[in-house]
Amino acid sequence: MNTSDNSRPERGKTLVLVLTLLNTILVAAISALQVDASIRSSQANRDSQYYAIQVTGSLIQAGAQSDYDIKTFSTMLINSMESLASQYSAVQQQAAGDQQGFEAMTLESQILQARADRAKSLSILMTDPAYAPTSEQSNPDYSTYISDLYKQSNEIVLKQNVSSDAYHHWNSKSDSYVAVLTILAVAFFLLGVAQMTRPGLRLLFSIFAIVVMGIGSLWTLILLLF
Amino acid sequence: MEDSNAKGNRLDVWIAVLIALVSLTTALATWRTASLGSSAGDLIYQGFLDAVKFQANANEDWQQAYLDAGNARDYLMTLDSLAVQENSTDPASIEQAAQLRIYLLPGMESQATPLGTDPSYLTQEGWLNVQKQFNELEAQSSDLSSLDPLASFSKADSYYAEQRWLVVGTILIAISLFWLGLSQLSHLRSRVLILVLGVLVYGIGLVWSVGVEIVFFILRTGGL
Repeated sequence: MNTSDNSRPERGKTLVLVLTLLNTILVAAISALQVDASIRSSQANRDSQYYAIQVTGSLIQAGAQSDYDIKTFSTMLINSMESLASQYSAVQQQAAGDQQGFEAMTLESQILQARADRAKSLSILMTDPAYAPTSEQSNPDYSTYISDLYKQSNEIVLKQNVSSDAYHHWNSKSDSYVAVLTILAVAFFLLGVAQMTRPGLRLLFSIFAIVVMGIGSLWTLILLLF
Repeated sequence: MEDSNAKGNRLDVWIAVLIALVSLTTALATWRTASLGSSAGDLIYQGFLDAVKFQANANEDWQQAYLDAGNARDYLMTLDSLAVQENSTDPASIEQAAQLRIYLLPGMESQATPLGTDPSYLTQEGWLNVQKQFNELEAQSSDLSSLDPLASFSKADSYYAEQRWLVVGTILIAISLFWLGLSQLSHLRSRVLILVLGVLVYGIGLVWSVGVEIVFFILRTGGL
């Protein structure tokens, strides 16, 4: 046995104590950071799921609205076409000398046109300047209509994606902090052994503990920065 | 020498009592911190239940509002076509319109009420005001007023905030336990110093934790 070890058995114990204190402070700070990351992860996860519920509702509303709007537009179109066909038939009846047929077809055309006119007045695709056809021959602006219809849903999906990304970010950080705490637990073990062993080995175990604490601190720094 | 040994033994007993006390406080603080997280989780769960119920009801109301709008549109179109028939010179058509008014229109009218019958349900542009009909349907669902997911989430955030601050106190108490343990094991001359450090950290941790509890209790009960 080394004679200097025997003569000064307490040598290096103060260093071990200081290192233990430092490690304790590190563990305390990282524990707090881990709890904070875990809470942030839970909140982001909650927001993400809440937005998912909202986007489902928004899509159902958009579906019901488009169903109504397209049905109103197609009703208007069908009645207009049938009115036109009746009008054409009336002209043919007149040309054939069938006055009664002409009058019946004309009345039929007027009835259908009245239905078409009402459908047109109720149709957002035909009366809203944002979507209405610019001329008699052109179609409504479907792409703008579809874009506006799903605008709210897309905005919520965007928020949901941001929350989902935040959840993964904080969840990953929380897991990493747990790994750092495990590393620092190893440092505690090494410092404990250093405290109990003879002075020569005490320094060696202290150096190992310092290296492990350095790795833990560096990892924490990386987690804090990114 | 004997006097010094006796002093050391008395200190050992005091440190043991302190360690027991701090251990109990640590357990209590850890339980409280965990229970706050659990309460926040319960509130989030409740918020989700409320959100799903609320959204399911809104989904039904939107479907119903647009179904009503479709009925109102068909009713208004039928009304206009009947007006043309009634103003025609064809007696058969006039008679048919009269029959339709008696046998068809009342049923359609009841399905189209109020969107197709009440002019206040028309927008400035002349469209059917589906949003107003939706609002009416939502107002009729009286049980919806108790569903407030955002209130549950906000309360959960308050528990999380308290948990955050309480963790600091719990960590301080746990640190003090470590130092008290060290002072019990240590044979160094600095034993008393380590003990004082442990007691000081414990005191700070305890005051901090109690302070956090009081502040959040006042905040939640609306005392501030």
